[in-house]
Amino acid sequence: MAKLKNIAQDKVPLPPPDAKVFTTCCDYCVVGCGYKVYRWPVGTEGGPKASENALGADYPVAPSSGKWVSPNMHNVVLVDGKQHHVIVIPDADAKVVNVGGTHSIRGGCIAQKCYNPNKPTRDRLQYPQLRVGDKLQRVSWDDAIEIMAAVSKHVLANYGENAWAQKMYSYQYFENTYALTKLAFRHIETLAFAFHDNPSNAEDTPAWRDMGFDNFPAAYEDYSLADTLFLSGTDPYETKTVIFQSWIMKGVEERGTKLIYVLPRKTTGVAFAESRGGLHLDLIPGTDTVLHMAIIRVILENGWEDKEWIEKFTATKWEQDSGFGRGIRDTGWQWRTTWGKLQGNDFGQYREWLLSQEESKLEVAERITGVAKEKFVRAAEMMAKPRADGTRIKTMLAMEKGNYWSNNYLNTASIGMLAVCCGAGNRPGQMLTRMGGHQRGGIQGGLYNIAKSPEKYPGRRRKPLDLDRWVEAGHVRYAYVVGTTWTTAMTGSQALASTLEKLTRGNPHQPTSTDKDAAIETLKKRVDSGGMMLVDQDIYLRHPIGAVIADIVLPAATWGEVDFARANGERRLRLYSKFYDPPGEAKPDWEIVAMFGKAMGFEGFDWKESNDVFEEAARFTRGSRKDYFPLVWLAKNKGIKAHDLLRAYGTHGIQAPIRYQDGELIGTKRLHDATVNLPETGPQGPTIHSKIMSAFNTQSGKINIQKSPWDLFSDFFEWQSPRPQDGELWVTNGRVNEIWQSGFDDIERRPYIIQRWPANFLEIHPDDAAARGIESGDELRVYSDRVPVQVSGFQGVRGAGKLDGDFSFTTLMKNGHIKLEKASVSAVAIVTPAVKKGVSFMFNLHTKNPANSLAPRVPDPLSDNYRYKLGVGKVEKVGESPYKHSFEQMSFGRRDLV
Amino acid sequence: MQENMNSEAEHPCLSRRRFLLMSGGVTVSTILLASCNKSDDGDGEGQQALVAGYARKKIATLGELQTDEPAPIFYPYDNTDLNSLGFIVKLGTPAGGGVGPASDIVAFSSLCTHVGGDLSNTKKTYMKEHKILGPCPLHLTTFDLTRHGMVVAGHATESLPQIVLEVDGDDVYATGVLGLIYGKRDNADLPIVI
Repeated sequence: MAKLKNIAQDKVPLPPPDAKVFTTCCDYCVVGCGYKVYRWPVGTEGGPKASENALGADYPVAPSSGKWVSPNMHNVVLVDGKQHHVIVIPDADAKVVNVGGTHSIRGGCIAQKCYNPNKPTRDRLQYPQLRVGDKLQRVSWDDAIEIMAAVSKHVLANYGENAWAQKMYSYQYFENTYALTKLAFRHIETLAFAFHDNPSNAEDTPAWRDMGFDNFPAAYEDYSLADTLFLSGTDPYETKTVIFQSWIMKGVEERGTKLIYVLPRKTTGVAFAESRGGLHLDLIPGTDTVLHMAIIRVILENGWEDKEWIEKFTATKWEQDSGFGRGIRDTGWQWRTTWGKLQGNDFGQYREWLLSQEESKLEVAERITGVAKEKFVRAAEMMAKPRADGTRIKTMLAMEKGNYWSNNYLNTASIGMLAVCCGAGNRPGQMLTRMGGHQRGGIQGGLYNIAKSPEKYPGRRRKPLDLDRWVEAGHVRYAYVVGTTWTTAMTGSQALASTLEKLTRGNPHQPTSTDKDAAIETLKKRVDSGGMMLVDQDIYLRHPIGAVIADIVLPAATWGEVDFARANGERRLRLYSKFYDPPGEAKPDWEIVAMFGKAMGFEGFDWKESNDVFEEAARFTRGSRKDYFPLVWLAKNKGIKAHDLLRAYGTHGIQAPIRYQDGELIGTKRLHDATVNLPETGPQGPTIHSKIMSAFNTQSGKINIQKSPWDLFSDFFEWQSPRPQDGELWVTNGRVNEIWQSGFDDIERRPYIIQRWPANFLEIHPDDAAARGIESGDELRVYSDRVPVQVSGFQGVRGAGKLDGDFSFTTLMKNGHIKLEKASVSAVAIVTPAVKKGVSFMFNLHTKNPANSLAPRVPDPLSDNYRYKLGVGKVEKVGESPYKHSFEQMSFGRRDLV
Repeated sequence: MQENMNSEAEHPCLSRRRFLLMSGGVTVSTILLASCNKSDDGDGEGQQALVAGYARKKIATLGELQTDEPAPIFYPYDNTDLNSLGFIVKLGTPAGGGVGPASDIVAFSSLCTHVGGDLSNTKKTYMKEHKILGPCPLHLTTFDLTRHGMVVAGHATESLPQIVLEVDGDDVYATGVLGLIYGKRDNADLPIVI
């Protein structure tokens, strides 16, 4: 084994009193905890007395002091070429988010993210490189950009804008996402575009959009104000760690909040919930819609729905028909062309529909979901049954990818209606929200012009282009990939990787020298012969996208190396300060885009520094949940940079949408807030009082009622479900605490984390393990010969939303649009009753063994989201892993103990 | 403080610093020993750690240790030091760093390496059927006692510091600590007297 070994350090240097202090936030998960960075030159250090160190604390410090510096919080970086110590420590003074300086295992180790030539981060990309033969060779920035521009111009002139594709992260800071999307949408005008977690420019929670719910309307405080918290498709203990520590546990301890978990496996959070009177709805992956409908049936049959709220905040038929301001044809569901299957005219009609649905009957729901029917009743009581005195309990619903990445449209519609029944969505402690994945760092710098999309629903309406299918069909000649692995992150990973490899490495036209002109000629011949040129821009060389597939690899600068701004999961904007130098010639993504934009002859790419981009991007946030335009306006009036004004707000930051009022900036705690106080005199200065601040996001400001017919999904679900006679199991996937949104740093470069998770793993139920002769620590082969991959067929003609419609799974299969691929990944067995029998679980994004390889590449036809969680495969023992008898690496201890 | 930019991968052997506790203060004398800390991880590589070797201190007697019955200990200082609170336990199953005839006797700090939660109530925190310590009463972190205190689930940025043990006849001695104890800047820092 050539694994990095962890060395437990027994001491840590403290910052001397004159250390420089910077504010920032964690780079990783959506929670966005506040951190402080202490920096001082190597050669000095502070002492253990409060007067001798910059933290102002006497060491040893007391528990929960927020002042303990763990060895993983220390690193050494370069500033102007000179070595400096840095301590990156949660902000003990924080009054919001991570109150008092608590942290997750990921954020607590974030100092190890910094580039240090003497540590495992030494392999950061530092220079532009061109692949010559099978080697990447260093070239100048000028040459790299010129080659990119010359081939891009050739592709655009000869094959059109949709032959030029862009695949990028959606989250890595406002400045970068704005610059990148400005390039793709406003200047290239391509539709062959997708963010890191979607095959197309799709909405994450499409039914919420159609109903009028925002994705991130809640404040973290709301989690501590609910009586019942319904958590679907995520364990925030694992993946929204500090929301759990600081806010959910606060509610449980202080007001006895009851937690309901909807997950196919039991994790620490679930065990905690059960120990405090909560409930685990242990469903079969992909069956949430039926589960929601069964709970709603119990609520409706007992008359427990919040009638007063429904009367006041849900739309009537006539209000719904007003659509989004342009009449009935413009309501969301009309765009999805399902011919009446989705819209519920009003709540009364919805009730009739729901009670008429076979799947909402408890016995049927029990069979489909695998959840005991008594639990539906219990959940309904906990969520909606009024107290003896008639008062209602406060119920909040929060969900994440286990929910909307298994059955996207219908799950989001039905959980939305469950929220409606509970009167949740627009008041303290009674919200409906996503919990989030990455932080919210996206600003769209141009229009995705869907009217030009080559893909359409049956009927005349266009839909965002499925980039993976578009590449597979041979339509892409140039691809620009920024900060994502593309293949590993998409379903059917291995099949997608081999397509990209065939189009690049498999083409006979390969540069044979670093000569710029020769490379341009060769790559033009490549694209003219049906091949593709691919540019990968990242902080590390990723396998396979950079290491195998890319022709040009560009080095990006990241967190801590440039000033950036971003929002977290409660729309809180903070400045992430630069505190050390990027490695080599690495540059922030916005600067690379600017160089390329200028080489292409585009105007508007003359930014000198990060703040220039931040200020320009502000007007594209106006009226949105990220509206920070008043901050930029006020900074200009004060004659300072907007970044510096935001920096003054420290780790506290300010919640968007930001308002200007009487000389000050005011944040917005929650959206859709029926209790918000907006000045009667109206908005001041550049402020916009957008509808989402005080009402739902529909024309009427009320929720549009939405149905969730199971038969839009059931043919696919039945085909995809494991076939026990063939030995198949669900191989669902997800995240684990230790490597959540930080895997790009720590899977390969953080010895402390590597010793915990040196390999991908598969949790399997003891009965399923015994049947296959598997013990914990065994090396497994996890494989499938039937990974469905949808191919070609971009123009729907006959009815969507029908079994015989062109995009139904049955029709796709019949018409030859589903190809069956093979996939195989390795994993180490963890035998545990924490997973449901018949269901196994893997970490989803392991670089070398991505569980997504086994997940179906057939997007939801209504919304183009993948059903990542519905992987299926066979599992067999190969031998024993090196970890089975090791005391050094990997623990097989149960993770559901409290 | 030694400058800390050395690569872990380039140190196949640990370096051991020894300092002697003297009455009235700490005298640090550094005796550098190159040694590979052998443990049975099956692949010939041992746990690598910079061990602060403290004064050798007797903390238990083999005959008194009963399987699955943890006992409190104080190390590296005595019971006047909150941060020295730990426990010794005979797991009944071999463990990384385990001593005794069955290599199953281990000792750890009782302070959670997340934010210092008190894990010393082993009646509640020692899960004998799993050989796991936890959950921490503050934020539920659990540690694998057979795996050098590795985090099983939770938030700690360091494994639970393991007390290095040696057996001499029937006596069990503590001789060092793997990892920085919560609250401390340096395991050698003088205690705050309580």
